[in-house]
Amino acid sequence: MTIVTGQAEAPRRPEPARSGMLRKVWVHRADYAYVLPAIVVMLLVIAYPIYYTVDLSFFATPPALQLKDKVFVGFDNYQAILTSDVFWRVTWNTLIWTLASTVISFALGFATALALHRDFMGRGILRAILIIPWVISAVAASYIWKWIYHSDFGVIGAILVGLGITDRPPNFIDSVGTVLPSLIVVNIWREFPFAMIMLMAGLQTVPEPLLAAAKVDGASAWQRFWHVTFPHLRNVSTVTILLLAVANFNSFIIPWIMTGGGPSNASHIWITHIYELAFGRQRWGVASAYSVLLFLILMTIGYFYVRALSGDKKEDPEA
Amino acid sequence: MTRMKLGCGAILRGTVVFASITSLIAGPALAEPPVDLSKWSPEYVRSIAGTEEFDTAAACGKVTPLDYKGRLTFWYQGVFEGDPDLLRQYYKDFFETFRKTYPNIQLEEQALTYNDLLDKFRTALLGNAAPMAVRLQILGGTEFASKGYLQPLKPEDVGWKTEDFWPGAMKAVTWDGVTYGIPTNNETMAFIWNADVFKRAGLDPDKAPATWDDVVKYSKQIHDKLGIAGYGLVARKNAGNTPYRFMPQLWGYGGGVFDESDPNPTYGEVRLNSAASKRALQASYDMYVRDKSVPVSALTNQQADNQPLFLGGQLGMMISHPSDYNVMLDLQKKATGSDKDKAQTVIDNMRYGLIPTGPDGKRAVVFGGSNIHILKPEYVDGGKVDEPAAKALICFWTSPEWSLKMAYAGSNPGNLNGFKTKWMKERLNNIKFLDVTTSMLPYGIPFPALPESPEIMNIIIPDMLQNALTGAMSVDQAADDAAKKVEALKGGGGL
Repeated sequence: MTIVTGQAEAPRRPEPARSGMLRKVWVHRADYAYVLPAIVVMLLVIAYPIYYTVDLSFFATPPALQLKDKVFVGFDNYQAILTSDVFWRVTWNTLIWTLASTVISFALGFATALALHRDFMGRGILRAILIIPWVISAVAASYIWKWIYHSDFGVIGAILVGLGITDRPPNFIDSVGTVLPSLIVVNIWREFPFAMIMLMAGLQTVPEPLLAAAKVDGASAWQRFWHVTFPHLRNVSTVTILLLAVANFNSFIIPWIMTGGGPSNASHIWITHIYELAFGRQRWGVASAYSVLLFLILMTIGYFYVRALSGDKKEDPEA
Repeated sequence: MTRMKLGCGAILRGTVVFASITSLIAGPALAEPPVDLSKWSPEYVRSIAGTEEFDTAAACGKVTPLDYKGRLTFWYQGVFEGDPDLLRQYYKDFFETFRKTYPNIQLEEQALTYNDLLDKFRTALLGNAAPMAVRLQILGGTEFASKGYLQPLKPEDVGWKTEDFWPGAMKAVTWDGVTYGIPTNNETMAFIWNADVFKRAGLDPDKAPATWDDVVKYSKQIHDKLGIAGYGLVARKNAGNTPYRFMPQLWGYGGGVFDESDPNPTYGEVRLNSAASKRALQASYDMYVRDKSVPVSALTNQQADNQPLFLGGQLGMMISHPSDYNVMLDLQKKATGSDKDKAQTVIDNMRYGLIPTGPDGKRAVVFGGSNIHILKPEYVDGGKVDEPAAKALICFWTSPEWSLKMAYAGSNPGNLNGFKTKWMKERLNNIKFLDVTTSMLPYGIPFPALPESPEIMNIIIPDMLQNALTGAMSVDQAADDAAKKVEALKGGGGL
């Protein structure tokens, strides 16, 4: 691999003795210079808010006082969060929401991508239709689904009652037992086209000769998928799952618009709860502590995924 | 059709004068108000309508010269999906007229809905990016005044007198003895029912339920006989509609968050877990869980969702503004085919009455409305406040003319002189059922004038309802939990 340092023509001076990371930085100094402006912007718009959020998480911000009058309370906010019933309930909701949405969206997207990878009449139209949920505004979609689910005059309820299947419209979003699964269905409906597009792109990279050779060798359809297609999709699948998981952890629009986290906190996930704590109840300190915890969780997930992504790559010999 | 097809006109006339006029009318000793509040009745309101002429431009010109050149940023709680088209037109007219009257003031206004305004305004204040002036719901004034964001502002600063406004409304803009804003409109809602539904359910079509216990009974009877929702319960969180409908019930049963329904409230003792408060919550539980006689969607609904249900003949009773009649007319115009006739039948059968009493005869309603305020420069985008421009706009909005016109269909003028204008006379003829809501004014109870009130009303009260109605907690547990949260909040904490 050739590394452009911008000093290739200059006579090489003896490099000072450096080891490990410093040596790598020195070798790639020109690359770092190229990305410096972006890093400065990132520091301004990301690093400072992170610092401020961490700082604020150690303060109490009573609702009757301005933020500037905050009171230092050390780790009290973290202690209050970790010992509150609501925290564990919201965390459980968040885990169910994230896992179910990510896994099912991915599986559905995968299945759809495989189906659309074959050549058949109307494939283009079908592909365009399936992308619609991902393209339309999440806000508009939330309002439409709220109407579809409405417990008194919703579309689904009217159809079921009209067909004589039920006497009363089913209660989708006004029950603590059904609200979260109902919202997850909406989220999957919105997200699976994203997985579908990513995997369709991935499928284009699977070499046709390899599949043809496997067929000639007598491999069944399942064996061709499992031993040829699937391994080629490993990287794109990892990226897709990572992106879906992070997006789902950070979800806000669908639960907030459709239920506001209710009824009785049954559809509150971390982000909606943080929003309510901060903007509805002005507990900026507690909301910041929640955000710090969420940040740590997401960073941990991100770290492991990045490791998984780069796990089989060899170390750059020149680095 | 006669104006008051209520079957309760006599009750209105008889009871209103002797109504328990509590903290709403009680106030500090002031000069004589422009209207005699002790004579308040539909007849009195009718007798003073159209008796005085007001020239808004001339009055406001004395506050800020009409050729004044300046710039004003202004946020306000504007119309939303549940408001009638008539009100939209008045808002449009207001800003057009203001711009014509003050052509050199560059006005940058932004309308926000009730549910969004507080969040956005709080966020802007944190970044010192607030507008120069803001019109907030009545709940908000104390919160922002107590935190030091608002400038002192009294009616005299914009050419009016303090006694031109309801004393109860002035309390909502006063913190620590200083006035920080001016009421633009004040409202009390009424009880609405569908006479046809009542008749078909075997109830007296011209008689509203007298007590809250009757509401529970009527709601069940309507549901059992007709299979539709009886009462339009609303229990959504973060929606102003919820406290406006539950607090009258809570106060009627003799409960309260604190002692806000007493003549001289101190807000010391939390009463949400009192026996009376629990009885009020039990009534909601009975309707939602035991009888299943209210919309299932009450937990995610707002009043705007009840309106189509009512118009479709799927709801028997609800609490709302007189403007709901105009909303029904607007919705009916948009209906097609047989729905149009069905909607017309509902409109013909709409009846308005006083909000029911509790078991001890206590009648109560939220004394709602909005106030207008000027921000301190340090919290404003750009760090400057154009006070003359702000005062010009505030004078305009709180004038007898515009405080009436901007509240034409659904509310009442903040400036009591509005009741004397020719537009009030016109309004009495045009807006059906106005008498009932003006009759409810003396029963109005303001929300507790505390900075914590928005959280109590928009989050803790709806949470209490949702916890009880979903079965997440028993009625007792939900009330105790809410009382505990209010105690913690008053102590400056709580999650």
